[in-house]
Amino acid sequence: MYFIGCDLGSTTGKVVLLESLGDAVDSCRIVSWALEPSGFSPEETADLAINRACEQAGISRDQVAGFCCTGYGREHVSAIPYNVSEISCHGKSASFLLPSARTIIDVGGQDVKVIALGKTGKVVDFAMNDKCAAGTGKFFEAMARTLRCTVEELGEMSLQSVAPVSISSTCSVFAESEVISHINKGVDRCEIAGGIHESIARRLMAMVNRVGLTEDVVLTGGCAKNKGLRVALEKMIKVELTEIPCDPQINGALGAALYARDAYDGEK
Amino acid sequence: MDKAMRVREICDSFRELCSVPYNESLQSYKNDGGLIIGVLYNQVPEEILTAAGILPVRIRAVGSQGTEASDARFTQVNCSLVKHFYDSAAKGRFDFIDGLVATNGCDHVRKLHENWTSVLKPAYSHLLCFPKRQGDDLQVTQLAKEIKKLKESIEAHFGVEITDEALREAIKLHNRTRELQCALYELRKGENPPITGAQMLAVMMAGTCMPREAYNAQLEELVALCQDVEGISDYKVRVVVYGGEIDSIDFFEAIESQGALIVADSLGGYGKRSADMQISLEGDLYTNLANAYLMERPAEPRLHGTRAARWEYLEKVAEEANADGFIQVFIPICDLWGYERVMFATEVEKKDLNCLVLDTEYIFTASGQTRTRVQAFVESITEGGR
Repeated sequence: MYFIGCDLGSTTGKVVLLESLGDAVDSCRIVSWALEPSGFSPEETADLAINRACEQAGISRDQVAGFCCTGYGREHVSAIPYNVSEISCHGKSASFLLPSARTIIDVGGQDVKVIALGKTGKVVDFAMNDKCAAGTGKFFEAMARTLRCTVEELGEMSLQSVAPVSISSTCSVFAESEVISHINKGVDRCEIAGGIHESIARRLMAMVNRVGLTEDVVLTGGCAKNKGLRVALEKMIKVELTEIPCDPQINGALGAALYARDAYDGEK
Repeated sequence: MDKAMRVREICDSFRELCSVPYNESLQSYKNDGGLIIGVLYNQVPEEILTAAGILPVRIRAVGSQGTEASDARFTQVNCSLVKHFYDSAAKGRFDFIDGLVATNGCDHVRKLHENWTSVLKPAYSHLLCFPKRQGDDLQVTQLAKEIKKLKESIEAHFGVEITDEALREAIKLHNRTRELQCALYELRKGENPPITGAQMLAVMMAGTCMPREAYNAQLEELVALCQDVEGISDYKVRVVVYGGEIDSIDFFEAIESQGALIVADSLGGYGKRSADMQISLEGDLYTNLANAYLMERPAEPRLHGTRAARWEYLEKVAEEANADGFIQVFIPICDLWGYERVMFATEVEKKDLNCLVLDTEYIFTASGQTRTRVQAFVESITEGGR
């Protein structure tokens, strides 16, 4: 039996196709997944990503028993009325993939969340960033643009940093001004990249402090693929991050697929 | 007409009145020669203005789109509420008022009053000094004196006489408002509340921006209708909203859209607290007013020595409304409610309660983030939000 979870984020739509082979949750396996840049319509983004995930698995959409949406576009897909918040979805998925997970740090396109999980995987507390984009994927994109490199290169450069510069502003726009000042002073790009990652890690630390830090700690979201962020964050929180056994960007979509399965079971 | 439809119609008409600063009801009142005084915060004993034949209207910067007129006169550590209030005043959106009465509610409101009077120069302005401590007769006596000063100031400026008889009638009128509002709150404690929290906020706010007799008449009808309507059942959790001067119906709707039905509140501005008192008609009316506003009404964080009582009141409200959790709402940079947030967190942790803290600027725009937070909160209470 197949289930689909759609995480319609601000920059990317993520879809996970899950197969459930029995009643127990550990009988589930990820069959395929798809990432699609977010368009103007969450409905279209969801359609494209679902079709791709189904194509990859060689199944038709009709064979899917249940759907669930999450992410900012979750309420705007008319064909999928069932939606769950991304906070619960990240919790559900992390707990499924790694039952020992107690803290999730999710760094997405425009959101940063720190989620505390109980022993049963239930969300017990969470914190989100406010309106400001500092510390999110948008921030990385802006900084990479200023340093004329890709986000991946920005992460790689930060790993070579020896004496990272100080980026003190918590505002994306002002942080960009600080970066430009460093460029004009002739500071090495790697040290600027190091400073950018350190400033983001500091911001995440502030949020971690609000929720509390319990191991195991996992990093999810598109930005979790940035090695520079992982290293800077580990240094800041003084805890080694535990890897989840799948692409960290699809964690929310996987959670949604698991909720779709639960809802199907509940209706049986 | 069907009773449920009539309930909706009354609530919608209240909401309509709250949607602009100078609504049709006020325009009509003004066209008939009525005087209007703008009131800053709910500590002003509006009974005095009613007794003078003047309509008190609470200042709200509804529809404000920016703070460019106020940014030069306030600092970055002033809250968005006072900035939007001043901005609206500077842009002439409150030009219909004949004067302004404020209290020394907090430093931000004092700064607002100072800027308003010194720069915008309203025809009449009065600052009522409200005591900062609750506890003994000294403060009540002082507040009674302040209320008398307000009375004398209004008499002198507007050339009216506020007789004891007129004050008695005004108190009766306001007591009736509070009685009816409490009756509505009472009905919302049931399993299927007749109106939503967003509708209740509209009901409470409408009472501050229309003539009171007309308001009471509509409220009488609403309370009677609400005894018989079927009520709301399609909610997932029942919550109590706790916080300061929140006047955004959209904000409440964003909360309720996620299945969190607001069944009670403890709000500084327009909530149940304002209604939770009756002013005695026996003896000296000024002392009675002071006693009710300072001692009888459930305390706000501004009043020293009331921490335990504030929490006790909140717990009582939640218990009576059979609430599943709390949502604390506050405007960033609000000192009073900022401290309350810390106190709240301590109590919540101690008692392991379900609670969510939401902040919102005075003009609510972050609907997506609010909805995500509330949905996650509901899901954490209900195991997946189902």
